[in-house]
Formats: sequence, C-alpha cells, structure tokens
Amino acid sequence: MSLEAIVAIIAGGLVSGSLYALMASGLSLVWGTVRMFNFAHGALVMVGAYSAWYMSNRGGLAKALQPLGKSIIESSENSGALGGLLLPLGEWLVSMRGGFGLVLGVPFAILCCGLVGYVMYVLLVKPFVGKPGADLVVIITTIAGASFMQNGVQVIFGPRYKQLDRILTGPPLQVLETAIGLQEVLVIVLTPVALLLLHFFLKHSKLGMAIRAVAQNDDFAHLVGINVGQIYPLTFVVSSILAGLCGVMLGGLFFILPTMGAQELLFAFVVVVFGGLGSLPGTIIGAYVIGFIRESSAYIFSLYWAPVVLFATLILVLIFRPRGLMGGEES
Amino acid sequence: MSLMDQLNKYRIGLAIIGLVAFLAVPFVITDKLLIHLAILGMLYAIVASNWDLTLGYAGVFNFAHLAFFGIGAYTSGILAVKAGVSPWLGILAGGATAALASVIVSIPAIRLRGIYVALLTFACSQLVLLLLLSQPLITGGQQGLTGVPQLQIGDFRFRESPFAHFYLVGFLLLCSTIFLRRLVTSDFGLSLIALRDFEEYAVARGIPLAQQRLLAFLLSSIFPGMAGAVYAHFLIVASPDIFGFSLTTLLLSMVLVGGVATIYGPVFIGVVMTYVSELMASSAWMSDVFGISRGPVRFMFVAMLIVLTMRFFPGGVWGLINQLSSRVRKQKQAAADQHT
Repeated sequence: MSLEAIVAIIAGGLVSGSLYALMASGLSLVWGTVRMFNFAHGALVMVGAYSAWYMSNRGGLAKALQPLGKSIIESSENSGALGGLLLPLGEWLVSMRGGFGLVLGVPFAILCCGLVGYVMYVLLVKPFVGKPGADLVVIITTIAGASFMQNGVQVIFGPRYKQLDRILTGPPLQVLETAIGLQEVLVIVLTPVALLLLHFFLKHSKLGMAIRAVAQNDDFAHLVGINVGQIYPLTFVVSSILAGLCGVMLGGLFFILPTMGAQELLFAFVVVVFGGLGSLPGTIIGAYVIGFIRESSAYIFSLYWAPVVLFATLILVLIFRPRGLMGGEES
Repeated sequence: MSLMDQLNKYRIGLAIIGLVAFLAVPFVITDKLLIHLAILGMLYAIVASNWDLTLGYAGVFNFAHLAFFGIGAYTSGILAVKAGVSPWLGILAGGATAALASVIVSIPAIRLRGIYVALLTFACSQLVLLLLLSQPLITGGQQGLTGVPQLQIGDFRFRESPFAHFYLVGFLLLCSTIFLRRLVTSDFGLSLIALRDFEEYAVARGIPLAQQRLLAFLLSSIFPGMAGAVYAHFLIVASPDIFGFSLTTLLLSMVLVGGVATIYGPVFIGVVMTYVSELMASSAWMSDVFGISRGPVRFMFVAMLIVLTMRFFPGGVWGLINQLSSRVRKQKQAAADQHT
C-alpha cells in the first residue's frame, strides 16, 4: 500500500467517521434517554440538507421572494413615508437573487430540524411513551414518519437532485502529495467542534445534566424535580439538530435527494451497535472506527463490497458482544 | 367466543361461497385496472400475512420480510433473463433462495432481543439492496432488471388473459393463508405465542426458543419468495424500489391496520389497501389538489394511516370487528338475562 493510499484512506475515514458520528450520536442520545429508536433519523438528515438548500440556493426561497421584493419596490414608489421605509427591504430582497447563502442556510436548517424533531416527538413518540410494547410501536411510527417526510419533500421539491454551494472554494489541500478537497477538510475539522459543543452541553449546562440524569434513571430524575416530560422532547430536538448538521455536510459533499439519509442511517445503525447503544463516547469512537473500516475495505476490495465487510463486522459484534464496545447493561 | 370461532362454525359453507365468489370475480369485473390491482393486492397480502407470523405471532421485530419478497423477485428474474430458466422453476427457486436468506438472517437475529433484532433485520434488507445495486450487469442496477419473461404454459401467455394471473395468485394466496392458519393454530403456533407472551416461563417449560424462532422465519419466508417471483414475471420487471421505505410502510400498514396476529386481517386489508393506495395514485382529484406529483402523496396518506391506527386502534380492523361483535353479543346476553 502506497503512502498516498494510506493518506487517502485516513482522510476518507475521517470524513465518513465524522458524518456517522454526527448521526449516530443523535440516535444514541435518544436511545439512552427516551429508550426509543428513531428510524426517521435518516429522513431528518434529508430535511436538514433540503432546508439549507432552500435558504441558501438561488432556486429556493430567494427565487420565491423575488416577486414580493419587486411589488414592494413598485408600491413604495407610489406611497409616502411608509413606502420609504419599506423600499430598502424590497431592494434587499431583489438584491438577494443569488440566495441567502449558507450563513443563513445553516441556522435555518438547524431551526427546521429542531422543529421537525419536536413535532415528530409529539406526534409519533409521545402518545406511546410508557405503554407496553412502545419500542416496537415507535419503530413503526417513525418508519411511517420517514416515509411521510421523504414523499413530502418529493412533492415539494420534486425528485431531481440538488446540491449545496461549497463553503470554501479553491484548490484542494495537498497532504503528502494526496489531494483532499476543502469541503472534506471542513467536515473533518467542524465535526469535532460540534461534538465538543455537545459534550459541554451535556456535561455542564443544566439542561444537559438533566438529560443525563433522565438517561441514568428517569424515576429518580423525576424525584429530584426534573420534568421528564420536557426532557424527552428536548432530547429529540438536540438529536434532530445533530442530524440536520450531518445533512448540511452531506449536502455539500454529495447530491441532495429525497431518499438520501437511508444509507447513512444503515451505517449509523452499525455504528451504534458497534459502539454500544446509549453510550456517547462508544458511539463516537465506533463512528470513526467504522469509517476507517469502510474506507479501507473500499480500497482493498471495492466500494461495493464495503457494506458487506461492515455488515460482517456488525454480525460478529452482535454475536460476541451484543452490548457493543462500551454499552452498559441491558435493562 | 370471538368472531373467528363464529366463522369457524360455518366454515365449509363460507369456504364454498368464497371460492365461487373468487372464481367469478374476473367474469364480473372486466375492468383491466381493477383486475391488475387485485392481483397486486393479493401478492402484497401474501407478504403481509406471512410477515404477521414473525411480527405478530412470534413477536420478533422483523423488518426484513420485504427483502425475502425482493430476493424471490430477483432470483427468478435473473435466472430467467440471464440463464433462460423456465419461470415456473424460477418461482420455486425464488421460494428456496428466500428461505435460505431467512435462515442466514435469523441465525444472528434469534440470539438477540428487541431493538437489536430490528436493527439487524433492517440492516440486512438494506444490505441486500446495496448488493443488488452493486452488480448492475446482473441486476440492472438502479433501473431494475427489465425484460423478465412472462409466465406461459405452451403457447398460452399469462398476460394476455385477465384470468390466468388472477387465478394463479389467488391460488398462491389461498395456499399461503391455509398454511399460515394451520401453522398458528398448531402446537408450533401456540409455542410461538407462549414465547412472545412470557418468554422465561415458556423456555422453562421446555420450548426451544432459538429453534422455534428460526422455524418461524423460515416458514414465513417461502411464500413471500414465491410471491416475489410471480411479481417479477407479472410486471416483467424486478425493481430496487421493493426495498424502499415507501413499500415497507405500505406493507407494514397492511399488517397493522389489518390486525397483528390474526393472519386474516393482513390478507383482507392487504387487498383493500393496495386498491385504495393505487386508486389515490391514479385519481384525478388528487392531482387537482396536490399539483403534479400525486404518486408520493398516497404514501404520505398510508404513513398517516399507520400512525393513526397505532394510536387509536392498536388491534387493527380485525381487532375492532372482534371487539364490536363481542360487545353486541354481550348486550344480547344481557337483554336475554333480563327477560328470564
């Protein structure tokens, strides 16, 4: 194996690992706290990518607002003082013909995903919490939710693929004579930042500590005055935001399609099982390990056989250590 | 006494009426689309009712059942297109490969519990899809395997007659339903229910957990595999869409809306749901209300239907009918008691 190949595998593994880590940490967080498994997590990735595209691309919201901007300019020319106030708004809308950029796109994606996550919790999960057999029921309702979102997005945006603008443009970075795209570098750098933020949120903020308390023992959390009924939706929102971030990054690397996220969900499953359901450190380590296994098997065999290798890994882990690398006791 | 016991009393008469009615359907309904939908519906009903055996009776979180259907479709399709094997042998081969796949899936799955089974079986079905997509020369890749030959006996081509596929699929559904009903009322079926309802006790009474679950997977995969093969020859294409979220949701809705652990529920609702969802896809008012793309909208309705069913009628339609009939009987009983 040449040095070039090794660098490529490491870079590829870091990129895949980052994406899996963002996605799987959300899954793991929800499992650890609410004891439910969210099969619509892949669809949330897709929602994140589409909402970022809608805000940032010139074919999205900017295009839809052009007529409004023009009519504001026209009407403000005819009216007095109020028109003078509105004129800049109209001119600004028209000048944003090229889209609002990712500066607004990313926060918008976070907002959308958080909102969708909350609505999903209220409609698909909340009615079943605490009932017998709820875990199976929630798998089914979230699969239905995923189908709903996929098809809904297809109705709104059509089946044709879209792509996010690149944040950094320029020649690829040269590392030991291997070219790595700037977008990939950005993903590798930003993911640990996001995960660190998650870590500080969970470790040091009051809400984060409440989430961990509920994850450890919801009855006792209730006893010390934590509103468990509010922590569950909060966990869903946090996990959805992580999925949304993953979607924004995926959208910058690959194409955006209504069915995107399904394959990533599969890999995220492998990651959470590998790392141990409910354990965040295990999940994050697992994500990078799985990322490297995927990239190296893609290099050694072929891209098509990488899923098979991963799957064999999954089965071996399930057979010899069903709780994963760092998973706790099964309750 | 439930509805099923009541039906059991008259079962020979009902069976004859049902058979005659079934045979008469293609004579009475001459609309080609309706017959097409009925055939499709019966194929889906086979998958849904077999899925009910693992999901409903065995209580295993199995999400790989559509993969068995897809494996059957691709097996028979590939054999016919690439090797020129007769579709009739292909149907048997479809059942056989589906059975083989079910054993492979269930070996790791039976060792696991609850959520892990769901993850594993879901991952399995997606893996089959990835493998199929990775070999475009054999499977046709994203476009699907086209040019699958239709079924024929001698010079008689099945697609030229409205009767042939209808009777064939109906026969398959009948065999599958009788097989499943026999199975769930046998000792084997009872042992599955026992394992589902009180695993520790059932195991303590000597029921071999792993063996029964493996058998449940195996026995419920053969008919879906054969149905998949017929599906490929009926539509003359095997498409990767079989593995998508949309069809999974549709089939899942048949099991759940029909009523979990009833077999009959998924059979009847399978046909009805296919009809309703396809009708939604082709009706004019849907396109007026929702603009251009109405195909996806029906899956959104199916998704909503699932969530509403889980929320308000967890027993499904069959459970609802049973509940109502027992309530009516209780009221009659109460009225009779008052008279005496």
